[in-house]
Order: sequence, then structure tokens, then C-alpha cells
Amino acid sequence: MRKLLAVLCAAAMLTAVSGCAGSSSVTAASIKNAGVLKVGVKEDVPGFGLLNKDTNQYEGLEIELAKLIAKEFTGDDTKVEFTPVTAKTRGPLLDNGDINMVIATFTITEDRKLTYNFSTPYYQDAVGMLVKKDAGINSLADLGGKTIGVAQSATSKDAIQAAADEAGVSISFSEFASYPEIKAALDSGRVDVFSVDGSILGGYVDDTSVILPDRFSPQDYGVATKLDNKDLAQTVDDLINKWLNDGTIAGLVSKYNL
Amino acid sequence: MSNGPFALWRWARLFNDRGVFAEGLLTTLLVSALALSMALIIGVVLGLCSTSRNRILKTVARVYVEFFQNTPLVIQVFFIYNALPMIGVRWDVFTIGAVGVGVYHGAYVAEVVRAGIHSIPPGQSEASRAQGFTHLQTMWYVVLPQTIQIILPPLTNQAVNLIKNTSVLAIIAGGDLMYRADSWASNGALSYAPAYIVTGLLYFILCFPLATWARRYEERLKSRDIIHEPLEEVVEC
Repeated sequence: MRKLLAVLCAAAMLTAVSGCAGSSSVTAASIKNAGVLKVGVKEDVPGFGLLNKDTNQYEGLEIELAKLIAKEFTGDDTKVEFTPVTAKTRGPLLDNGDINMVIATFTITEDRKLTYNFSTPYYQDAVGMLVKKDAGINSLADLGGKTIGVAQSATSKDAIQAAADEAGVSISFSEFASYPEIKAALDSGRVDVFSVDGSILGGYVDDTSVILPDRFSPQDYGVATKLDNKDLAQTVDDLINKWLNDGTIAGLVSKYNL
Repeated sequence: MSNGPFALWRWARLFNDRGVFAEGLLTTLLVSALALSMALIIGVVLGLCSTSRNRILKTVARVYVEFFQNTPLVIQVFFIYNALPMIGVRWDVFTIGAVGVGVYHGAYVAEVVRAGIHSIPPGQSEASRAQGFTHLQTMWYVVLPQTIQIILPPLTNQAVNLIKNTSVLAIIAGGDLMYRADSWASNGALSYAPAYIVTGLLYFILCFPLATWARRYEERLKSRDIIHEPLEEVVEC
């Protein structure tokens, strides 16, 4: 046991040291020099970040935000490179420097602020629930003994657990890596409820399923940057605040019917 | 780097939540044990089928082996999890793990057993049949006992692969070690680095002694010159 601990400690120290050596700060200026802004976005969330299969172009509120930031940094809104991310990959991609920032329905929490910088929220969304029409689930009160399908790295689990505790019903969770997997589990009856942020849920409603009117704990979406890059975070935050104040973001929200 | 991916406080949080990983490890061990037993039974039966002279048995064994060796375990498990419930077959994830991984590795064990039986000189079965043994008796009392020490190393390697492959359960919320690691890493402060390093180490601790034992045993066998002809190479999964 002591040997094992020693190995663990050694691994921790080694990785901590190598982590230090490789990091060089990314700023608006360094992105301008590089000539391209690298942004992690969702490719499967309609209205926010969606890869249009017909045109092979990304579209959505978060895509437009990324283009706006690219324009501020490099003077050209086409100087932006999109990397599709999932809830699971966006953190590591930021940390290893593959992308400069994440604009991908990334919910701000106090705990996550220990790990990444978040901008002022550009959008607020609530957790929603999708159920099969014939399941007889009409509200939170019907969830007793049910299994809720949630996405890994999504905040919906904590949100629903809190709401369920309040309502006095006991539930269990199954976590999946991607939204289509949760939808498949809902269709096969493995889970009774598909729960993610309401905006994301909209893309998965079909003839046999329905979104419940219940919504929980509003989620704030922010632009995330690597924790070391404080200057970049400040620049981005100023931009988001500017666009919140001058109505740019409100315009985008209504453009995509969010 | 007090807040980097490898920050010390993240390791401390993991240590506090070690119960989560212990639960996952236990599930992984149980699923592995059940799946291994199943793979051994399937493997021996199919191995005997494929070395018998009965055409039908041979074909059944061949079809089984080719089917499971040439389709990904991920798809098989995903199919059992999501498609079978639509025709009324609903197994819990633990059963899917044990059966799914068991039947998959059964195919590989069958190939190991087949190769092992072929490595016993035909004179052995001829002599045994001359003594009036039936085919099954010949296999059970004469051939298989001699096969065992030859196939133990490749079988152990199968066990190692089997343990690692139980991590496929992570995609169907199976509660195994990999799933717990994913789940833990994606909650709270997103401390993915310690989670995956510790999980990797735990798998290593399970597998390394087995693999080492197999390698040493094989070397001893070779030096004793017990293997009469080289074992057919079984494709690793």
C-alpha cells in the first residue's frame, strides 16, 4: 500500500512539473499573431452550435459569438477554426492548448471556476426533461423510482437531484457520453427521462416524446478559457459585456429563436 | 500550477471519494470473474466442437468464432442494451457485462483451445482410441490434460484482455470502474486527470501480475521443452 502511494505521488509530481513546463500564455495579441482563433463548439445542439450536414458549415448563436470574437482579435470573422467538442472533451482540449476557448453550452458553476475562467453568462437556460408520451410521466412528482438519463459533464444531474429531494421522490441516474446515446436509451426504455439543458433537448423531440413543462435551476452559459490565461479571459469578458449591453447578443438570441 | 489539471487538491478530492472508485473496481472484478467463467466454458465446448469430425459441430463453432471475433464488442454490447429491449429482452447492465464480454471472449478461448488440441501429437489420441476410449473420453482423459499447461499462457492473456474489455460497460452506464471514473471526472471541478491516471493504474494492478505470470510460465515451459510444436498465434483483440 505504501509503495502504491509512493508511485501515485511520483506520478502526480511528474505530471505537475511537466504541466508547468509546457504552458505559455495565450492572449488576444498572440491569437492575432497566429492569425486564427481556435474555438471548441458543439456540433449537435441546434440554435447554439450545429454542424449543418448539407453545407458542412457550423451555425448557431455560439458560432456567431466565436466569429465576432475572431473579428475583434484578428479583424476578420473568417479567421476562426472550429473544433467539435463534447461535454467530456472540452476541458482537456482547453488544458492542452488545442483550442483557445470553449463556447459550447458550458454551464458556469462555482466548482468549475476552480478549473477554468468563465465569462459573464451570455445565455441562461433551464434543465428540461424529455419523456415518452406513453410513459405516464407528467411532472416531477411522477418520477419516483424512475431512471434519469443525463450527459456526463452536464450539470443536469445535480439540478434534478436537488429538485427531486425537494419533492421527496427518489430517482436514479444513468450517465452517457453523448446526447444520441441518451436518446437511444430513452427509446429502448433503459431510462425513463432524458434530461439536459432545455435548449439542447429541443433537438431530440419526436412524435413519440414530449418535453415536460417542469424546468429546473437556470443554467448560465459562459465562454471558458484556460485558467492560466487571465488576460484572455478578461478581454473576452469585456467583449461579452459589451455585446450584452448593446443588444448584439439579444439580437442573436432572437435570430435563432432561443 | 496550483489549479492545473494535476493540482494536488484534485488528488485529495479523489482520495476523499475513493469509495466511488472502489465500487467500480468491485463491479469490474465481479463482471470479469463471471465473464471469464463463461468464456472458459464456451471456449472448451466450442474448442472441442471445432476439433471434432462432425461437420455440423465444426460449422457451428466456426460461425460462432468468426461472428464474435469479427464484430466489435462495443456494438454487441450496445445492441444488447438498446435493441434487445425492443423485442422484450431486458437484461440489467451487470448481466450484459458478464454475458456480453463472456460470449465475446468465449470465441477467443475457443481458438486457444483448438490450437492447444492440435498441438498434441495425433499418436496420443490414436493410442487412446486403440485402448477403446470414445472420442469424448479421449479428449477428457488424454488430450485436454496435456493441453492445459500449453494453453495456460495464452488463456491468461485472454483473461487480461477480458478484464480490460469490461470497460466497454462505461458506454451503457454499467457502473464499472471506467464508468465511475468518467462519472467522477465529469462532476464538480472536472478533475479528469487524476481520475483517469488512478483508473489506469487500477487496471494495471489487476492485469500486470496476470500477464507477468503468463510470460514467466511460458518461459519455464519452453526451457523444459514441453511444447512439441509452436502454438498457432491467436489474434489479440
